Amino acid sequence: MGDDDLSGPYLAACARGELVVQRCAGCGRRVHPPEPECPWCGGGELPFAPVSGAGQVHTFTVVHRSFAPEFRGREPYVLAWIDLPEGVRAFGRVTGCPPERVRIGMPVRVTFEDDLPDLPQWRPL
Amino acid sequence: MGLRGKAAVAGIGMTALSRRSGRGELALAVEAARAALDDAGMAPGELDAVLSYHMNDSAPAIRVARALRMETIGWHNDISGGGTQAASILGDAAMLVACGVARAVLVYRALNGRSGVRMNTASTGPQERFTRPYGMAGPIPMFAMAATRYLAESGLGEEHLHAVVAQSRDNAAANPRALRRDPLPLAGYLAAPYVCTPLRTVDCCQETDGACALIVTTPARAPSAPRLHAVVRGGGPGCSAMDRAPDVTAIFSSYVAPALWAAAGMAPGDVDVPLLYDAYSWLVPRQLTDFGLVHPADLPGHLLARAHARVNPHGGLLSEGYVHGLNNTAQAVRELRTGHAEVALVTGFGGSYGSAALLVRP
Ligand SMILES: [Zn+2]
Repeated sequence: MGDDDLSGPYLAACARGELVVQRCAGCGRRVHPPEPECPWCGGGELPFAPVSGAGQVHTFTVVHRSFAPEFRGREPYVLAWIDLPEGVRAFGRVTGCPPERVRIGMPVRVTFEDDLPDLPQWRPL
Repeated sequence: MGLRGKAAVAGIGMTALSRRSGRGELALAVEAARAALDDAGMAPGELDAVLSYHMNDSAPAIRVARALRMETIGWHNDISGGGTQAASILGDAAMLVACGVARAVLVYRALNGRSGVRMNTASTGPQERFTRPYGMAGPIPMFAMAATRYLAESGLGEEHLHAVVAQSRDNAAANPRALRRDPLPLAGYLAAPYVCTPLRTVDCCQETDGACALIVTTPARAPSAPRLHAVVRGGGPGCSAMDRAPDVTAIFSSYVAPALWAAAGMAPGDVDVPLLYDAYSWLVPRQLTDFGLVHPADLPGHLLARAHARVNPHGGLLSEGYVHGLNNTAQAVRELRTGHAEVALVTGFGGSYGSAALLVRP
């Protein structure tokens, strides 16, 4: 993750309920989380562009004991890395189903309707 | 780095391990250092270099040197880092000795890991800015996510993790230093609460107060002491940064193992006793196959048959305690001193970065 101003457009899009991911103007590959330089070709022009919002759980954990004080008492919750068909991996919580139902490979879709409203979450299809 | 015996570990020392030492890190470091010096039959004045590693939770090398009444100090460094250092700090010390920069190097790690600065909220890197707002904090959820996928891909389950932890407890039973020595039957394992699935409390090492020290010197000064044969350090994409890692289950051993065997001119079958960094249970099977000690296809049966009983004969970090891995390094020296082992492997884990060393009997 780069500087604050680097993730500014990403967070602004989240606030309006849209998931955007950088696309390298040089090589066309997607880059996420936001970077100042393309990790694949070194290009410095990385405008944000929308993604489909579809994804698959790459891996996850059910947090039963949180080490983030503001999340204590809100367990269990699911943290996951999500493979996007655009070729990047996104992070977030899997919500909208019991934690014990979450599986690797499970298809999910982005949602901004949860108790973390300005951050992308993932919901089973 | 092939050292071929150009440095020896002349002494080891440890404080008692506890959950509340009631003392500062400096006092712990000095006690462990004095024990190591006694063990080596050396006086503080014979030391001329001091190396340590820390996460802003320790006593600086120059304060330890002063407290030991070393009048002057040569090469000294407080290396910023955690478990990755547990094996490679021996390499740093060996380089000083092998190059003639130092005659004898004190290496230590001191921490009040339970009563002072705790590891469970330590930063895992810059990606936290992105993951922290979701309630991800400290190393456990990160390595739990790697473990979820690792178990799925390797065909291992909770009975195999139980075998790792239960064997660790059995090995610790005869170790008076160990914090956890009671047997752990499967039912007890399954009844332990999850921290972050698939890791239960008992799959994680226990945060510990304590210190461990080693003295590295020239073989001429310690002719009968275990020798450093090879040390490697490195890493690559893996569980330390899952955003772009092709294999999020990869830990340091998948990178350093080939380098270790190449540097050592040895093969996995030469290892008599593996001291594997076992801060989490799943790191044991992952390292067993990465280092070539067990074939992946044999792994589930190997664990259930407890064929891995020779791993961490003192109970490791899971049961003896957690002096950030350096207590496993000290155990490598104890094992070689028994005369029953010729070659010991010791490892240092920090996600997909880390280190490994081979020590041999002279
Ligand atoms: Zn590019």
